[in-house]
Amino acid sequence: MVTLEQARPASSTLVPRVAGQRRLDDTIVKVAAYTLILIGAAIVLVPFFWMLSTSLKSAERLFIYPPEWFPNPVRWSNYREAWNALPFNRFLLNSMYMTVLAMLAEIFTASIVAYGFARYRFPFRNTLFILLLSTMMLPGILTLIPKFIMWRELGRIDTFSPMTVGAWFAWGPSYVFLLRQFFLSIPREIEEAAVLDGANTFQIYWQIMLPLVKPALLAIGVLSFQGNWNNFEGPLIYLNTLEKYPMVLGLQFFAESLSREAPKFHYMMAMSTLMAAPILALFFVAQRYFIEGLTVGSVKG
Amino acid sequence: MLSWYTLTLTDYVVVGVAIIALMVGLNKVLRRFGVGREVATGYSLILPWFLGFVIWNLGPFVASFYLSLTEYNILQPPEFIGLDNYVEMFTGDRNFWPVIRFTLLYSVINVPLGLLAALLTATLLNQDVRGVGMWRTIYYLPAVLPAAATALLWRWMFASNGLINFFLSPIYNLFNLDRPSWFTDVDLALPSYVIMGLWGVFGANTVILLAGLKNIPRDLYDAATVDGAGRIRKYLNVTIPMLSSTLFYVLITSIIASLQTFTQAFFIDHARRAGTFMNVYIYNQAFEQTKMGYASALGWVMVAIILVFTLLVFRSSAAWVYYEGEKAG
Repeated sequence: MVTLEQARPASSTLVPRVAGQRRLDDTIVKVAAYTLILIGAAIVLVPFFWMLSTSLKSAERLFIYPPEWFPNPVRWSNYREAWNALPFNRFLLNSMYMTVLAMLAEIFTASIVAYGFARYRFPFRNTLFILLLSTMMLPGILTLIPKFIMWRELGRIDTFSPMTVGAWFAWGPSYVFLLRQFFLSIPREIEEAAVLDGANTFQIYWQIMLPLVKPALLAIGVLSFQGNWNNFEGPLIYLNTLEKYPMVLGLQFFAESLSREAPKFHYMMAMSTLMAAPILALFFVAQRYFIEGLTVGSVKG
Repeated sequence: MLSWYTLTLTDYVVVGVAIIALMVGLNKVLRRFGVGREVATGYSLILPWFLGFVIWNLGPFVASFYLSLTEYNILQPPEFIGLDNYVEMFTGDRNFWPVIRFTLLYSVINVPLGLLAALLTATLLNQDVRGVGMWRTIYYLPAVLPAAATALLWRWMFASNGLINFFLSPIYNLFNLDRPSWFTDVDLALPSYVIMGLWGVFGANTVILLAGLKNIPRDLYDAATVDGAGRIRKYLNVTIPMLSSTLFYVLITSIIASLQTFTQAFFIDHARRAGTFMNVYIYNQAFEQTKMGYASALGWVMVAIILVFTLLVFRSSAAWVYYEGEKAG
């Protein structure tokens, strides 16, 4: 602070010039920043626009070069035709069925485990928690083969069970980690008061703790929805019957069958759009929770 | 058809009820043996994860190591063959090295570029620009798009009549080149995946880094200003060190994710001669060739690769990652 006091008076005549320079600098930085941000936004948005535009084109106008930006005529029927080409109603039902079952069990168990790690002291707690975190680095492909053999022994190949039942075992370590962070931030006094009132562990967890971490539960909810909705590896390996496919696998089958001759990109883009629609809709409604779930692990951890 | 759904629902309910019963039971048993209330409850609460760890991680982990030493086509019992799978991989399998090359090159190019792009974008968004929320939404959009849709979209973008070639046509005209079909070209398949990968992830990383930047206390910059630091000095000496733990997190997660690229390759017919991703190759070996033993051995190579990369980053982190808690000690 002393150096500042000394520096000021000596250079007082210089201050306006320096300030002017600074303002000019700021302006240059701002202009450059906005330009780059706009370019970046264009890089992100142009492919999205192209997906929508293609999905509304007619087959004849698809491969015209140079490309046409706007579809003319606009063919909404692409969506209906693509949807009806395969049993997509069934795929949608399967996707929703697996997603809902896996999500419920996954969130329920992750929150219980996180609560245990955050609030109870027991021997080897830290070792076990590190073990939990280390499973995040284990490549899924390694355990895939033994898991496949297990489900085969249980007679559950070509059923929805491998994609849903495992969720009861808190199978998302990152969700446990994220929820634990939230539980840790809640003051202990709240539970202590409840214990004095004679509440048991489950009551405290269910009636007091869960409502307090609702934002985190919603953050995990959207992550979990996204993860299960997009899960491709599981269905690819376990399901053989077309009618049991979820949307993603249906989309892959669809894309492959459309690629044999000239790829019908208008149908592919229509189905990609529909596949993405629920998640995009969820994103616009619950954006806060997407970002919360994404950033909490990195910044607080 | 209804039975498909009821079968799984039954499995689901049975397992769920069993787990809750086990939790309650464990608590009772521990209490009866005189274990304290807090410890007994703690163990009971983490039981679902612990069971899962044993059944779905530890067991398969050990099993996969054993399988990697066998020849196993799933119909006959596994036959022990020692290290033959590993020998075969390094000396006999002509596909192995191209796959390793493809996977490593993809990560080595994709991760640093993605990190730099995200850092640049996050820095720009942190310059008191208007509408940060809107920009953030836009940049995050590709991360919300399912990988399957991203892959189909970019396959079309990179087609010979696609948008990318349209944008590049002035360059092609200048050098008198033909419009390539990117993914099916042996030399361009990898760059195409890199570009698609960058588009897909850099927005998510930007959002994480932006949150990290917003977390840096303002007074640090004020102090640096008082000390006469310019914009660039401040960025290098305040921003980067304060952001380093977030950068570290993004780096580790990007490496692990990029090495395990899988889904996209099933939606794109790229030039197979260029190689493919390791996980896709393992899938082919295991479930199309039904060489489960060999595929398990490949899985262990994958573990080794991930381990080497993460250890390198962890080791180097002492030199460049700055944790605030450490400065007292």
